[in-house]
Amino acid sequence: MDTSFSSEDLAFQKRVRAFIDENVPSGMAMWTERSKWFEALREQGGWDVPKWPEHFGGPGFTATQRYIFDSEMGKQPTPPQLPFGVGMLAPILMNYGSEEQQQRFLPGIRDGSVNWCQGYSEPGAGSDLANLKTKAVLSDDGSHYLVNGQKIWTTLAHIAHWIFCLTRTSSDGAKQEGITFLLIPMDDPGVEVRPIITLGGSHSVNEVYLTDVKVPVENRVGEEGKGWTYAKGLLAHERSGLAGIQSSVLGLEKAKVNAEKIRIGGGTLLDLPSFKNKVGVLEAELLALEFTEMRTLARVAAGGDPGPESSILKLKGTEIQQRITELNLEAAGMFAAPWGHEAFGPDFAHGATQSYLGGRATTIYGGASEVQKDVIAKNVLGLG
Amino acid sequence: MDLAYTDEQNMLRESIEKFLASEYDLTARQKLVSSETGFSGQHWQTYADLGWLGLPIAEDFGGLGGDLVDTMIMFEAFGKGLVVEPVLSTLVLFAGALDIGGSEDQKQAYLPSIASGEVQGALAYLEAAAPTDLHVVETTAVSVDTNYTITGTKSVVLHAASADHFLVSARTSGSADDPAGISLFLVPADSDGVSRKDYPTVDGLRASELVFDQVKVPQTACVGNLGEGLTLLQRVINRGILAISAEAVGAMQVLYESTIEYTKQREQFDHPLADFQVVKHRLTEMFIEYNLAKSLCMKATMLENQRTDDAQRHIHALKFLVGKSSRFVGQNAVQLHGGMGMTEDLAVAHYFKRLMMIDATFGHTDIHLQAFVG
Repeated sequence: MDTSFSSEDLAFQKRVRAFIDENVPSGMAMWTERSKWFEALREQGGWDVPKWPEHFGGPGFTATQRYIFDSEMGKQPTPPQLPFGVGMLAPILMNYGSEEQQQRFLPGIRDGSVNWCQGYSEPGAGSDLANLKTKAVLSDDGSHYLVNGQKIWTTLAHIAHWIFCLTRTSSDGAKQEGITFLLIPMDDPGVEVRPIITLGGSHSVNEVYLTDVKVPVENRVGEEGKGWTYAKGLLAHERSGLAGIQSSVLGLEKAKVNAEKIRIGGGTLLDLPSFKNKVGVLEAELLALEFTEMRTLARVAAGGDPGPESSILKLKGTEIQQRITELNLEAAGMFAAPWGHEAFGPDFAHGATQSYLGGRATTIYGGASEVQKDVIAKNVLGLG
Repeated sequence: MDLAYTDEQNMLRESIEKFLASEYDLTARQKLVSSETGFSGQHWQTYADLGWLGLPIAEDFGGLGGDLVDTMIMFEAFGKGLVVEPVLSTLVLFAGALDIGGSEDQKQAYLPSIASGEVQGALAYLEAAAPTDLHVVETTAVSVDTNYTITGTKSVVLHAASADHFLVSARTSGSADDPAGISLFLVPADSDGVSRKDYPTVDGLRASELVFDQVKVPQTACVGNLGEGLTLLQRVINRGILAISAEAVGAMQVLYESTIEYTKQREQFDHPLADFQVVKHRLTEMFIEYNLAKSLCMKATMLENQRTDDAQRHIHALKFLVGKSSRFVGQNAVQLHGGMGMTEDLAVAHYFKRLMMIDATFGHTDIHLQAFVG
């Protein structure tokens, strides 16, 4: 066992750092120079899709390289990539989609020209996702499905061109059976998007109503009735991706800087023992969680599955994210209150309120913390 | 010892709850939040007519002569309804300061018209340099002839836009962080040299940044002894802490009760959520947190009412505990409502935001824990 990197890995780390120093945009350029950034990543040999396998144009990183790459990228803000296409749909298409589907959809996913959203949750199917009711009925001639139902909490449905949906094609047997994975264009007249305004007044999630939507069978991924198996494998990946460990490391450093700006007594908020202790506890837990992630990666590198242990990452990772938002909220103090167009007080205050409010969703989406614990208890510990 | 409410106190609680039940559902409240002033002037007059605005004001000045326990009962009820009218600013902070430190003339000039609903006030004390240090005051009041000239900036002044008068902390001597030399002045809101930037707050109230540019007030505008304002300010803030803690207790009660209701109805995995042991235990913990906060709120209020030596220590413990329990109850109410808890359509989100700001108001948990342990 050895935690130090090989000379090849160190060289790779140097290369990644040099690339970032030279190419990463900052401030407003984060948005205006987005495509340039992803192009530069692509030119490095698939760095724009670091998790994709080599024969689909990915970089073919070893597990250690993946870890190095993710860590280095996490050390500063980079232009965000919407996760639904590159991270969520693409692996399903690669594993279960037809060659025709791969050729049709992967290029648009990769270059960001086609936005995707995820149609999984329903009003009656949240943590209990398999309880979904959206119905897809195959036509008599077998040419298309007629889809009726409602999806909810659909992130960025209002800017998506396509939605990948779990639908019910059969009610026989266990709930998990009879679920079929369909790809549906958002401009279909039977698709209606209604915004949901969440805590803090922002609009990122939606309700999506599907009324008599005709979906050609060519848009079915894999076999009818196997959609649950396809989606479930990916949920493990989604969960480990939601841990956001590197961004928490970054966020905690920022929170310390923020707290140091707040004068209290003869010192700053960071000098306050109970505050300082909270920072210390978070730092220690993050060190441990980083290495837990590395252990998961090492398992994958050795040919294993990220497995149910990835639930640990999502569970602890999101709780840590929330606790960091609490530190910033405390530092903002009364300046967390102003909610108009103009900002007052410390420069981080307005963002602190938004992150605290929005961050409450992280222990709910992608499987609520309570359900993650059930998953660990059942699948890892073997407790019924 | 008698911990039971009097008949009058029970009537007060019932009359407020009755009013809120008929006039203050979430839709009505949110309509007020997005209105021009952010609250209802008509409600304000109703509060005066029902005697609520006169509750803490002495009978000599047109009030009912209630004590801090009465105010606690009133704020606990307001917390249940997420009331947005400026009761804290006008009644607890502004009138409270006059009640504690004002001269007979000052009381006569302001308190009767507050009780009758004609006048509103706001306390302008917070400064950006050290927002939680009451003794750090950079705003100055310079004596010129028989006047004082006030210059400085005050932040997040609750309900300043609707106030007719401000009570402003300013330095009449000493350096910016000298505990001595702070004085409190009454300043009419329409004085020359006062400018405001108004904004809504995240929890549905209104606040302002206030700039005082050589604002002239007479010597008689000073409330309490010159240079001894910090003690008065601390006492007023203590009353503020007691009031918003009671408000938090009311809000927490609504949250744990409505979360019980929701989890009994919402089914996942073929069972109501409330059937799951983890959910039952969480709801029980919310109930316990609420009760501890309520207990300490009652005790601290009674001690401050009697002005005992250990009242201050209890108030620090209370503000810490209310922050901690509000966070636990609020966060878990959202968590157990799942995605629904994240929407602005449900009341949960609005209680959550109010509790979040109560924790921030008058110093958050860590500050009061530090003051408590000493």
